[in-house]
Amino acid sequence: MAETHHESGGSSADFDLSQFYQIFFEEAGENLDLMEQMLLGLNLETADDEVLNGIFRCAHSVKGGAATFGFSDVAELTHQMESLLDKLRRHELKPNALMVDVLLESADASRGLLACHQSGNVGQGPATANLVSRIRSFVAGEVPPAAEVKPPEAPKVAPVVTPAVLSPAPVSSGGLRHLEIRFTKLDQPTQADAIVELFRDIPGLGEIKPIAVNGGAADRRVFEVQTTSSNEDLLDLFAFHVSREHVDIVDMPAPGGQEVSNDGVVAPGVSQVGIAPPAADASQQGFGFFDGAPGSPQPQGAEAAPVAAALADVGVAKAVQSAAKPPAISNAQPEAATIRVAINKVDQLINLVGELVITQAMLAQNSRALDPAVYQQLLTGLTDLDRNTRDLQESVMSIRMIPMSIVFSRFPRMLRDLASKLGKKVDFVTQGEATELDKGLVEKITDPLTHLVRNSCDHGIESPQDRVRAGKPETGTITLSASHQGGSIVIEVRDDGKGMSRQKILTKARERGLDVSDQMSDAEVWQLIFAPGFSTADVVTDVSGRGVGMDVVKRNIASLNGTVEIESSEGYGMKVSVRLPLTLAIMDGMSVGVGNEVYILPLSSVVESFQVKSDTVSTVGQGAQLVKVRDEYMPVIELEKVFQVPRYDSDKTSDIMVVIEADSSRVVLLVDELLGQQQVVVKNLESNYRKVPNVSGATILGDGKVALILDTGALVRRSRH
Amino acid sequence: MPVILTVDDSPSMRKMVAFTLVGAGYQVVEAVDGVDAYEKAQAQSFDLVLTDQNMPRLDGLGLTRKLREHPSFKTVPILMLTTESSDLMKQAGRAAGATGWLVKPFDPNRLIEVIKKVIK
Repeated sequence: MAETHHESGGSSADFDLSQFYQIFFEEAGENLDLMEQMLLGLNLETADDEVLNGIFRCAHSVKGGAATFGFSDVAELTHQMESLLDKLRRHELKPNALMVDVLLESADASRGLLACHQSGNVGQGPATANLVSRIRSFVAGEVPPAAEVKPPEAPKVAPVVTPAVLSPAPVSSGGLRHLEIRFTKLDQPTQADAIVELFRDIPGLGEIKPIAVNGGAADRRVFEVQTTSSNEDLLDLFAFHVSREHVDIVDMPAPGGQEVSNDGVVAPGVSQVGIAPPAADASQQGFGFFDGAPGSPQPQGAEAAPVAAALADVGVAKAVQSAAKPPAISNAQPEAATIRVAINKVDQLINLVGELVITQAMLAQNSRALDPAVYQQLLTGLTDLDRNTRDLQESVMSIRMIPMSIVFSRFPRMLRDLASKLGKKVDFVTQGEATELDKGLVEKITDPLTHLVRNSCDHGIESPQDRVRAGKPETGTITLSASHQGGSIVIEVRDDGKGMSRQKILTKARERGLDVSDQMSDAEVWQLIFAPGFSTADVVTDVSGRGVGMDVVKRNIASLNGTVEIESSEGYGMKVSVRLPLTLAIMDGMSVGVGNEVYILPLSSVVESFQVKSDTVSTVGQGAQLVKVRDEYMPVIELEKVFQVPRYDSDKTSDIMVVIEADSSRVVLLVDELLGQQQVVVKNLESNYRKVPNVSGATILGDGKVALILDTGALVRRSRH
Repeated sequence: MPVILTVDDSPSMRKMVAFTLVGAGYQVVEAVDGVDAYEKAQAQSFDLVLTDQNMPRLDGLGLTRKLREHPSFKTVPILMLTTESSDLMKQAGRAAGATGWLVKPFDPNRLIEVIKKVIK
């Protein structure tokens, strides 16, 4: 099947199939992704017909396309997958985990092969011989060879590659031979059925047709074969499935009129340039009509047209095609309505909108002094501008937003491989996949999340025996969830494993010379695992626990303005929560004034603000100030002192308090006035100037002045020391 | 200009077939599966239906059966475009009322050649 198109390339030369390659690559990628998803979701016990059919259809589609467009390596591999899936969906075989493994690996290999075709590096794709032979043994109903056993180069001579070795033989051995091949005294007759597959898979080998065996002898198979190969070649080939002593090859008289007249038309051509057999048995031509079927060509003679006529037809077809240049295809199905745009174009757009927001804010500020009675129209216009700018900004920002499912979707496969490697049983649950996050953040959060999920599987979830002993279900659960909370997105990795041992961490911390005490709160103890090089894993596996630790996770997340929190309960599991801003480019801020300076506080960290009453502030040792708010004492930070704001009016003091929260701690900032809330476009200070303590960035205000954005996390940490 | 309804769930195959047919001077309407094809067949008449076998929702055999029940498709040629060339498949195709079959993958010229035999 796969061969026909390839070999007849001459006649299709006037069709540039390459123009369809891109569509095919995308489609095949989607099919392979879908297949992987369905395979991962497949319940081996109660395999759903719907799902099995769906998986089969994916392989089938990829195979059909690959064969049509001449990617024979992909066609070959997917054909094998299809054969196996066909048996599964027909319930001739029962699916098992090893089959799913080999199918997943084959899907990966197909992707690799396709990628090579796409980039033009044909021949550098993954080797598939081993996969093919493994699938074949499943199809043949044999005991599967261990998946781990991958003889490095040995499969090169395995059945699949045989055609390369063999195909010169048939050509040299001359004309078409008509044979009856008998397989006798078979222990497993199904082995002989694999011979049929050989004929299907090897281009140019010829045609095979099973002949019913009289008396229903269960240990025999008889086939009618048309081939150009010698007996010796055939026996060699069959030896992969059936040993020689069971094979008997007998010459058959050629059926009337089927003798091949032309030695030049050997191999693939035989089936192609059809010998126009008399009856409906035109299958060798690749097409046929049913006698008397509605719409079938009336004169029977036309069907049995000689080769010459068929060729003439082809000639006409060619002429028509070259005459009529293909116009636009009518009624084309709308493909997924998306376009691909370079990310820097989007960034540029976001930047421009940011500038527009600033300009708009500037206009709004300047227009406040205008008399509404006189400038009514101008002010109405400015109000519209305000609304439109905001809408524009929102839509532009949404371009960069992508759903978390993009990240989540990579985990089921990873966990499956990991769990089977570790001998654990793990269910993976995702929640809130539709939650959207800035693309830049999504890319950067993937690695830390991968690390966390791996940790959960490796260190969190116990082995099935341990779980049963602890009275838990054998299968552990890892839950990955995403949700919006205020201006942030919170991603949680939860597992119901053994949790962390407070004692173990403290011991380990002491070993490493960290400053710890038994009085530390749980939350503080858990934070210890973020110390560089800290690992409590008893065994270093090749999965995690080797060097790169939680400190890197924490650092990566902190660089995204995010925070990590841990909750753990020994014996019951743990939860790691990652909190991230939705986007790094725009932030809702509260502007506060100190002296003549304006500072921006991230609105997400502002809890409340109130007027200072002098009796609520008390000074403790070393001049540190505390304020009592509803029975809770909080440290006070005077922004005036932190940033050494010059005062020209020495009587004026800061008398507004703003409570901010970061890293689960609260502090109070003393400021002169609250100026309002606004969206600010965050400009990186570090890359434009230098790192400034307690400042996370800068922005341009409506009046054109620059304001610093405060790093609330740093301010909170400062208050602790 | 003869109008052909081509039914395939694979976009690349659809495009390829449509391109081939349009290049040969036929007008082409595409459908993504049997259900879509049947809906399109209600709305207009066709000179030929070219359908894939394995499709979601409604497969080629099912489509053929439904079309043959429809008064205006009693005699319209229906070709099954399929990778399944087994005799069983052919019998099923004949029973469903198909006119003939063409094995995938096919050479574009071969497709035109076959179509020319059934469309005058």
